Amino acid sequence: MNETVAVLGTFQTEFRTHHLRHTFVEQAQIAAAGALHDAGMTPDDIGAIVFSLGPTTFMGVADADRWAIDYVFGAGKPMLRVHTGGATGGSAVQAAYNLVRAGLHRSVLIVGAERIAETPDAQKVLNLIFDVFYERDMPLATNTSAALWATRYLERYGNTQEDLARVVVRARRNALKNPHAHLKGIITVADVMASPMISHPLKLFDICPRSSGSAAMVVGNMDMARRFQPRPAFINGVASRTTTHWFGDRMTPSADSDFFDFDVVASAGRECYGRANISDPLSEIQVTELYDPYSITAALQLERLRFCSPGTALKLERDGYWNVEGGAVAVNPSGGTLCTNPIAVAGLVRAIDAANQVMGKAGAMQVSGVRNAISSSVGGIGQFYNCTIFGTEPVGD
Amino acid sequence: MSVFVLGVATHPPSLQERRLRLEEMAYHTARAALDDAGVTRRQLDSVTLGSSDELDGRPISSMLMSAPAGGYETDEIKVTDSGATALCMAYARFLSGESQLGLVVSWCKSSKSDVEAVMRLRGDPFYTRPLGIGAAISDALFAQAVAAEFGIDEEEVARRVVGAYARAAGNPRGIRHAVPSLESVGRSPFEAMPLRSAQRAPLTDGAVAMVLASGRFVNSHPGCRPLARIAGVGWATDSYRLDAARLRSMTSARVAWREAMRQAGVESTAELDVVELESQSGFHEAAYVRAFGIENEDALSPSGGPFAQNPLFCTGLINAAEAVLQVAGRAGAVQRHRAQRAAAHSCHGYAQQGNVVMVFEGVGDSR
Repeated sequence: MNETVAVLGTFQTEFRTHHLRHTFVEQAQIAAAGALHDAGMTPDDIGAIVFSLGPTTFMGVADADRWAIDYVFGAGKPMLRVHTGGATGGSAVQAAYNLVRAGLHRSVLIVGAERIAETPDAQKVLNLIFDVFYERDMPLATNTSAALWATRYLERYGNTQEDLARVVVRARRNALKNPHAHLKGIITVADVMASPMISHPLKLFDICPRSSGSAAMVVGNMDMARRFQPRPAFINGVASRTTTHWFGDRMTPSADSDFFDFDVVASAGRECYGRANISDPLSEIQVTELYDPYSITAALQLERLRFCSPGTALKLERDGYWNVEGGAVAVNPSGGTLCTNPIAVAGLVRAIDAANQVMGKAGAMQVSGVRNAISSSVGGIGQFYNCTIFGTEPVGD
Repeated sequence: MSVFVLGVATHPPSLQERRLRLEEMAYHTARAALDDAGVTRRQLDSVTLGSSDELDGRPISSMLMSAPAGGYETDEIKVTDSGATALCMAYARFLSGESQLGLVVSWCKSSKSDVEAVMRLRGDPFYTRPLGIGAAISDALFAQAVAAEFGIDEEEVARRVVGAYARAAGNPRGIRHAVPSLESVGRSPFEAMPLRSAQRAPLTDGAVAMVLASGRFVNSHPGCRPLARIAGVGWATDSYRLDAARLRSMTSARVAWREAMRQAGVESTAELDVVELESQSGFHEAAYVRAFGIENEDALSPSGGPFAQNPLFCTGLINAAEAVLQVAGRAGAVQRHRAQRAAAHSCHGYAQQGNVVMVFEGVGDSR
């Protein structure tokens, strides 16, 4: 089967450090019910459920998706959980896409929730994702790993910490129009530079917050789209890549994939563009919602996804190339992961924000004339990558 | 569109694998499956993993495990329900046309994990966890419910346990536990009423890998001979609640079974030559046989199921491998004569919260 797959409904909560009024499963239910309501559907209209949930160590409930079964209307239905670290949300969308495209289900609910701030220090948990013998004592965690990335990039291409800071300034400004965003506001390069140093050259403002909240999306085949959504977003391209865990194996001259060059992005992007019939992303894609938990992460992706040449993304940032108003492409109109990072659903939120732009329902964030939008998510330390292209029209096989 | 199994491999079972790290177990098993299929890792365009962070003992365990399991410079995804769920996910990726050659890999080093602690941590922090409910207690609740529902008695349970051990004793891929007597099963201590220790399948360490291919790949590679065709898959989840109505209804098991049989065009269980059940205890076998309407006991779990080997998270996918070997005529000493169609079952979670059923058909020399 090669069913066309469409986004029928989306929902996300407001994201903040804590959601004290709801439990994890209630958060999941709010999102599930919200997406169903958005699509005008009831639980009986859903054929299967994909639960988006990364490490449960943050919250301390093993396989917490099971706890949520009844709350997301999953009892008696086919349900599975996808977990690819930070890439989980994007992987969950692609898993649901596969279930519909395969003809196994007419509609699938993708849902998840995150309460990362239940743990006092996420970096201590994220240290545990590294190898016990070689890496944990260094100590590697996501902040220190991303700092290595930023250091190499700045040195190689002659950029400065101020160049990174401009990315944060744009993201916080964009997030002002996003009612769901965790961090938002008008800040200056000087504000970013004055924020506490966390891991050189990354300062506090260069790093995403720990966000809690939930999100859901309903996807379906053309029959369901005709019934429930007059203006769907079609999932026209998906691709995913995984490389080795080991930094050392991604840094040698003979490495298959260079850690700092983020080669998995280029590889996945090529495949995704091929499926979506995109030949010139800069002219054919109007919005990106890239997974960017650090100020360096989107720049690397923009280059590897061929929106600009290697080493130029931060220079173009100075010229406003990635601005919503007057830019060449609107990069993360939502403020992106830099402003909101609920790990379990961060990739799903990227996909929702991209799909909403295509469906013309992004509210104050809406970019005019959107025909195609791309979302992405990243897991491990640049180890897992996936991207998805949403379009106003379906692309035939 | 047809999806074929090109190769399978299971790690040599062990009560405690001391020689190899978990990633080495996955590597050797994935490599053996690729060799069995006659393909190389570089030919793969997808890898689907089934594993549990909690049982693996590290967050995002696939960071370390994906490359040894074949997920290097390719499309890779991980599901956390069970190894058999990974096969369902992979099957969808093939049916959707997204993959032509892929690997499904799952593992579990039960000896390195405190399985009861992991199960207790599955309890919600408000109601279930304070009760201390883990695997033994939830399985016992299941046993209690199905015993009442179906009239299962201890004598039948002991007979089924001894029968499973006896079948497992002939399985060259099993651990070959000693076959207990009916009396020793019936007199073993209670772990949680009414479940006795000897009625439960012992945990082992293990891993399993399966190479899948599309019809297009098979047709364009005449040297590759499929072992089986996937005729249908079904999976479903039950309520999180552990009340008697949920436990005795076995809803997800019935839904999964019905869907897999519908896809496979199987109208009666008599059409199945083999049914590999994941029976974590004698009560489970007795309940599943009744829920699925299995009357031909000769078809029942020739491998011995979990009583042959039971690396908890991937036991169901090992059942699938056994079913594939049956229809390929490669099951060795436990081979059923002229097995053409085999079903494999998997269950997972508290008291079999989720169930997966897969049907495989032999392909012989025709394609």
